[in-house]
Amino acid sequence: MISKISKQGKGELVFASSLFLLGIFVAWDTSKMDIPQGSSIVSPQAFPYIVAFFTSLVGLALVLEVLRGRYATPDGNEPGDQFVPANFKTMAILVTAIGLHVILLEIAGYVVAATLCFWGVAFAFGSRKYLKDFGISLVFAGIVYFSFTKGLNINLPSGFFEGILGK
Amino acid sequence: MGNSFAMLMDGFQTAFTPTNLMFGLLGTFLGTLVGVLPGIGPALAIGLLLPITLTVNPTSALIMFAAIYYGAMYGGSTTSILLNTPGESGSVITALEGNKMAKAGRAGAALATAAIGSFVAGTIATLLLAFGAPTLAEFALTIQPAGYLSLIILAFATVGTLLGASRIRGLVALAVGLVIGLVGADLQSGALRLTFGNLNAIDGIETVTVIVAIFALGEALYLASRHSLVPVEVLKMRGKAWMTKDDFRRSWKPWLRGTAIGFPLGVIPAGGSEVPTFLSYGVEKALSKNKDEFGKGAIEGVAGPEAANNANAAGVLVPMLALGLPTSATAAVVLVAFQSFNIQPGPMLFQTNPEIVWGLIASLFIGNALLLVLNLPLIRFWVLLLKIPSHYLYAGITTFALLGAYALNNSTFDLQVALAVGFIGYLFRRFGVPITPLIIGVILGPLAELYFKRSLQISQGDWHILIDGSFPKVIYATLFLVIIGPLVWNFKKKFAVKK
Repeated sequence: MISKISKQGKGELVFASSLFLLGIFVAWDTSKMDIPQGSSIVSPQAFPYIVAFFTSLVGLALVLEVLRGRYATPDGNEPGDQFVPANFKTMAILVTAIGLHVILLEIAGYVVAATLCFWGVAFAFGSRKYLKDFGISLVFAGIVYFSFTKGLNINLPSGFFEGILGK
Repeated sequence: MGNSFAMLMDGFQTAFTPTNLMFGLLGTFLGTLVGVLPGIGPALAIGLLLPITLTVNPTSALIMFAAIYYGAMYGGSTTSILLNTPGESGSVITALEGNKMAKAGRAGAALATAAIGSFVAGTIATLLLAFGAPTLAEFALTIQPAGYLSLIILAFATVGTLLGASRIRGLVALAVGLVIGLVGADLQSGALRLTFGNLNAIDGIETVTVIVAIFALGEALYLASRHSLVPVEVLKMRGKAWMTKDDFRRSWKPWLRGTAIGFPLGVIPAGGSEVPTFLSYGVEKALSKNKDEFGKGAIEGVAGPEAANNANAAGVLVPMLALGLPTSATAAVVLVAFQSFNIQPGPMLFQTNPEIVWGLIASLFIGNALLLVLNLPLIRFWVLLLKIPSHYLYAGITTFALLGAYALNNSTFDLQVALAVGFIGYLFRRFGVPITPLIIGVILGPLAELYFKRSLQISQGDWHILIDGSFPKVIYATLFLVIIGPLVWNFKKKFAVKK
């Protein structure tokens, strides 16, 4: 039966099984919970167990659904559209851009992190005008930085430019 | 009734102060903007602006958020009609006839009937909201914790099974949302769940981080993975956004019928704006004298669903304000906004914070009028926005989303969570799982647990209390009739076909 499953179905089968495992995992985590002394009538474990059971149940139901050949219709597709494999290269670029932002934000400051992130996302989405993109990224990050810190009084890390941009 | 009227007048006084008017105007502008732009909706926009709750006063901020909520409905129809890629779920149906009308050179009439229909429906529905919500709140004061739990379970079931094409996938989204809602310390005992020893996780996962990441990052990752970045064709609009006498004659009844369908389906947790807009389309198609025009650009097919969409948006605010139960992603974010001011929407809201809630309702009337002005004469300005290249659009949305996730607590932990949730958002889109049930699960899950525990504390651990009393019984009976009944019926039908 499994051998008949298409490439699309295999991916979805992994997704559905991991949901089932998520439910099991939540149940395991709940069973190991440290319950503080003097707890109330209702154990703090009761609700998580219900959620764990529900999650495994729907995960299992989805596994069966996929095994019966009822695959998902990806967002934006019509039922019966040709299956398009994911482009993991562009996704990787995008994740790198976001990851750099996360790492650099508190080290190099908002303007640097946001400029690189904006530029990286534009690149992932196919833009190849490097210099123009860089200019737009810098202007975007600068406007956001100033309108948040000066306009809304919300602090953002200033990084390298602490002296120049002011705090 | 009379009291509501007096309170509403006070509300208008609140809403008409220069500061609040300015925030209302800003909100309608931003709302239309995010409605027009593909890839960014009202839930995301309000989520991104939540950090302003740190510095702006509650009334002004909530007026702006409500204006964004209404504004996005107007903006969404513009994108549907001219681009055929609906900006938000309530506009999917609008694209059916609206885009055909635009192709036939009747974009102006389609845009006009959408905007005026939205105004008519929005105004009537807001009136119903102003008088219905306090009544519901008064009744809700008598609801016991077990009754609340039954309402939440009903909301879970309807949002989980009515959205999207597949019931199982809706429930999958709900389950993942409930799991995310579990993370952190248990409110009553302080027991830690799913924190993996991470101190940052003790306070739980920020709802806003989840919302921002699942919409913005999830969408960006998904689009990048598909790399289907063929520029979409923006249809030209000739002449003004206005309609002829004949268009009017054909539109006014669908507007009213759309309102009548949209509002009640928003009040009861019927799962978002897809159902009412779809129903309205079906009704107009069945009643129309020009059936052959449907599918080729029938104005009724734009007028009805657009009115239903706006009336539905107002209807959703009724349980949000009076019960504290959000049934759409946007209502959920507005609820979070209330909470960040330490205001809890629910039965007491009309008594504890009358100036805020009535100012908010009054501002909805003003916002509706402003939106009509913003959308009809200024339509050309909004159309220009559709020409922003998609790589800059998504670069901006992604960067903004990361900012929104960070600025709430100034914590990079929230950013890591955002990246993880963004990946979940990607998987959901890839595997046809709807997003809204997840958000409802994250927000209402902890609330369900609270009412669950309270009920059992009242009864000293006796589980019978959960179905005791007439209110929970009525709710569970409804649940069986509406959700479980049709499931069984469908199963029987399938079985009969097989035989």
